[in-house]
Amino acid sequence: MSSQRLPLLALLAAAIALPLVFRGEYFMHLMIMVLFYTVLASSLNIVTGYIGQLSLGHAAFFGIGCYAAAMLTLDAGWSVWTAMIIAGLAAAVAGFVIGYITLRLDGHYFVLITLAFAEVLRLVVINWEEVTRGPLGFPNIPRPSIVLGGEVMVDFSSKTHFYYVALVLVVITLWAKHRFVYSAMGRASVAIRENPRLAQSVGIDPFYYSMVAFVLGAFFAGLSGWFYAHYISYVGPDVYGFGFMVTMLIMIAVGGRGTIVGPVIGAAIITIVVEELRFAREIRLSLFGLLLMLSILFFPRGLVSVPDLLRRRGWWPGAGKTGTA
Amino acid sequence: MLDVALQFLVNGLVTGSFYALMALGLAMIFGLMEVVNFAHGEFFVMGGVVAYAFCNVLGVDFYLTIVIVVALMFAFGAATDYLLIRPLRGQHLLSTALVTIGLSIFLINTMLLTFGTSPQGLDAPFSRKPIIIGEIVITEGRLFAIVVGAVAIVATHILIQKTRLGRAMRATFQQKEAAALVGVNVERVYTLTFALGTAMAAIAGVLLGAVFVIHPSTAELATLKAFVVVILGGMTNLPGAVAGGLLLGVVESLWGGFVSTGYMDVIGFALVIFILLFRPYGLFAPRPGR
Amino acid sequence: MTKTMTGLATAVAAVAVLAGGALAQTDTIRIGVIKPITGPLAFDGNNSVNGAKLAVDEINAKGGVLGKKLELVVEDGQCKPADSVTAAEKLMVRDKVPVVMGAFCSGATLAVMPVAERNKVPLITGVSSSPKLTEAKQSWFFRNAESELMTAQAFAAILYEKMGLKNIYYLAVNDDWGRGTVGAFKETFEKIGAKTMSIEYVDRTANDFYTPLTKIRAANPDVVIVVAETQAGSIITKQARELGLKSKIFGVGAWATPTFMNLAGDAANGVFAGVVYASTATGDANKMFVDNFKKVFNTDPGKYSAGGYTTINVIAQAIARAGAAEPDKIREALTKTDVQAPNGRIKFDSHHQAYGWELVLVELKDKVPHIRATGVAKSPYD
Repeated sequence: MSSQRLPLLALLAAAIALPLVFRGEYFMHLMIMVLFYTVLASSLNIVTGYIGQLSLGHAAFFGIGCYAAAMLTLDAGWSVWTAMIIAGLAAAVAGFVIGYITLRLDGHYFVLITLAFAEVLRLVVINWEEVTRGPLGFPNIPRPSIVLGGEVMVDFSSKTHFYYVALVLVVITLWAKHRFVYSAMGRASVAIRENPRLAQSVGIDPFYYSMVAFVLGAFFAGLSGWFYAHYISYVGPDVYGFGFMVTMLIMIAVGGRGTIVGPVIGAAIITIVVEELRFAREIRLSLFGLLLMLSILFFPRGLVSVPDLLRRRGWWPGAGKTGTA
Repeated sequence: MLDVALQFLVNGLVTGSFYALMALGLAMIFGLMEVVNFAHGEFFVMGGVVAYAFCNVLGVDFYLTIVIVVALMFAFGAATDYLLIRPLRGQHLLSTALVTIGLSIFLINTMLLTFGTSPQGLDAPFSRKPIIIGEIVITEGRLFAIVVGAVAIVATHILIQKTRLGRAMRATFQQKEAAALVGVNVERVYTLTFALGTAMAAIAGVLLGAVFVIHPSTAELATLKAFVVVILGGMTNLPGAVAGGLLLGVVESLWGGFVSTGYMDVIGFALVIFILLFRPYGLFAPRPGR
Repeated sequence: MTKTMTGLATAVAAVAVLAGGALAQTDTIRIGVIKPITGPLAFDGNNSVNGAKLAVDEINAKGGVLGKKLELVVEDGQCKPADSVTAAEKLMVRDKVPVVMGAFCSGATLAVMPVAERNKVPLITGVSSSPKLTEAKQSWFFRNAESELMTAQAFAAILYEKMGLKNIYYLAVNDDWGRGTVGAFKETFEKIGAKTMSIEYVDRTANDFYTPLTKIRAANPDVVIVVAETQAGSIITKQARELGLKSKIFGVGAWATPTFMNLAGDAANGVFAGVVYASTATGDANKMFVDNFKKVFNTDPGKYSAGGYTTINVIAQAIARAGAAEPDKIREALTKTDVQAPNGRIKFDSHHQAYGWELVLVELKDKVPHIRATGVAKSPYD
């Protein structure tokens, strides 16, 4: 665990200093997307990485966060910050309900039932125009602002403001995840992932711990939805779609599931690779698919395992021991 | 009212034949081999694209094209299993799921590049003239789809129940270690099963081109529907997958006809939720399966 | 250890490339383009880009604009809001293009509009048709395309009054464009007294439309308004004939294209379509466009190609009038647009909504769109 703490702190320091060094708006945009995806992928990692269940319904919680933010600020006129709390809570409540129903099933059945929930929700959002505005969605979602004593202190006209909000969300997410993973509860979760029957026999109730992980994951997915809605300023039904689901799965798998830094690495690598592949034009996505297959085949435990692999061959300093989180 | 209902029923059976073929292939890959195959819809479209290359571009006879497509896609499926799935056998669901996601992204975009972005029809030897039976309308192409569906399904049944490969498959998926002990080449059975599943999806793709049009964008919905049907059928239950496919086709058609077309695609997913909660082993299993 | 260093160096290089601006190019004027180049909408997206490329080639052959050649910088937005925003940031911030055309789908365009606003770069769409886009007065956004409301207003009266079609049934793809167009037609039709029988929404990638068509056949309306693109539209046309639907079919979308008519085959005979562009339209501007397009791409142009072509011409004229390839000057110049396009004389109104096209009602027959009626698109605001 301490092996993960040091690089994380170094990363945090670098992240805080980053806007002071680089000032390009496009670069800032990419870094914001990296941070946003870090929160989203980490939230899925709590479920898939630690309790080992492949949830394909996670985009639904992200979508609920997006729509809660859009509807509360545009239709109900609430403040952006209140909407943040509600977006997270709404997703968590949905996580509780869906988790309560689905976590009784495992393996394949869980994969499919979570997918079914997300699809039902997406189709309802498209068809129920009166409430959700249908396929066109919500444009002009307001930017947040920080008002102190009647004066606008921060108006979020600059990308740097969004960057630091995203960074705060990342820190909260990773901290909460860390607390969860290294609590008695988290250790129990890992036990469930590794051997559910044995875990049960020593008095761990897999359902209870899985529920906690699921609701926690949903909450942070909702928060990332809130951020997305206000940063992009537009949400449509595509936030419930398979595209986001696939993106976050790829990020945790490429980075390394079941680790804290994994999704961070995955979010950064995938965002940058997709962007750098622009030179390839039409074959961009074909190349991306190919790279993804190679990455899974050669690093099935993700890129976090690369130092271990190198170390074992003596290409990297340090003992040849492998450590897992 | 009744004649409209009958028409809906026939419409549903045609769609259902496609679902059944797709699901039969996926029941092998997902149900038996436990690979969450996200590239299944791409295998389906690829069947149509390969058929287009032979039938329209090279001018090969339509029926011969079907045979060529089945052979090529069988080989493609075997190669996919050998290169991508076998190295990850025994690992977490997520690993194989992601490899197939990578494969699907690669295939769909490569097909858009080579096949082109415009939808295409297949030069099939069917008259488009409707056949009218009472008040019900059907076309030659649609009838052909139902027939091919039925033939493929019966052939699979015979293969599994009556041949040596079928026996090896049943043994492998019931008790892998025991099968290996009695001399079954388990790895080979896995590869052949994957190849069979791929070829099955490809046949559906050829039919798609003959009756409708081939376009890569149909892949995603096809994958999702196939997963739904496999669950309805009871995962490892191959006849169940067929029955589930036909059932979903008919139910969707009736729902679209009498309730709402906008919500037509919800039915399958809603059914999945209810079935998994109340009958997790599918609609057609008398008792829990494996 | 050397491996680590190489890895580190690569990473630093990658970040540097992302952070740094592109090389300054002074010999060309670059125009940003955001379109779906990959994914399900790539067909229509690439058609639009082809039209734009033809316009650029024509202009460059005549010596370019302000003595400089035009250059397109095409980025893939996949019609997804988040990807389109990233493409826009790249074009406007890193490449520093003075004007951007995009982003095809209304949802993606809605997401890019604030980016244009913030970076103060004019954004022009040649496609997005949701009335919502120009509902408010715009400063940096321009729409060089007909809105769904304009289409409905131009055709509803012809269908109702001239053709006597009173009972209307709708069959549309279940997305923003399908729902928006149905809404606009329904509103316009009901105002003039036509009756809405029912509406069916279908998935854009579906293959079998027998179920909604069976319903429509049983209802027997005077006309079915079908809102669908090439793929779904051509299948619907074929299947409607198979089922023996007697109602007239009026298609909204790119129905007057060769691809569409080839796919639908004989079934397309007698189908009506309301289009903003038909390659058979008369006039020298169109003749020249069609001839040149055929020479390069070996096929007749359709709606999206014409949209891309016209939009680049609008932009080029604005740059020439502005006298400099600078965003604010181009924006100013765009408001005074007066371009002879293949399909009409284009100007922008106070909401930056273009008007002046000849909207044509065509009847498809033997793979040729025959023009049956024309109307000029009026500004819905002024």
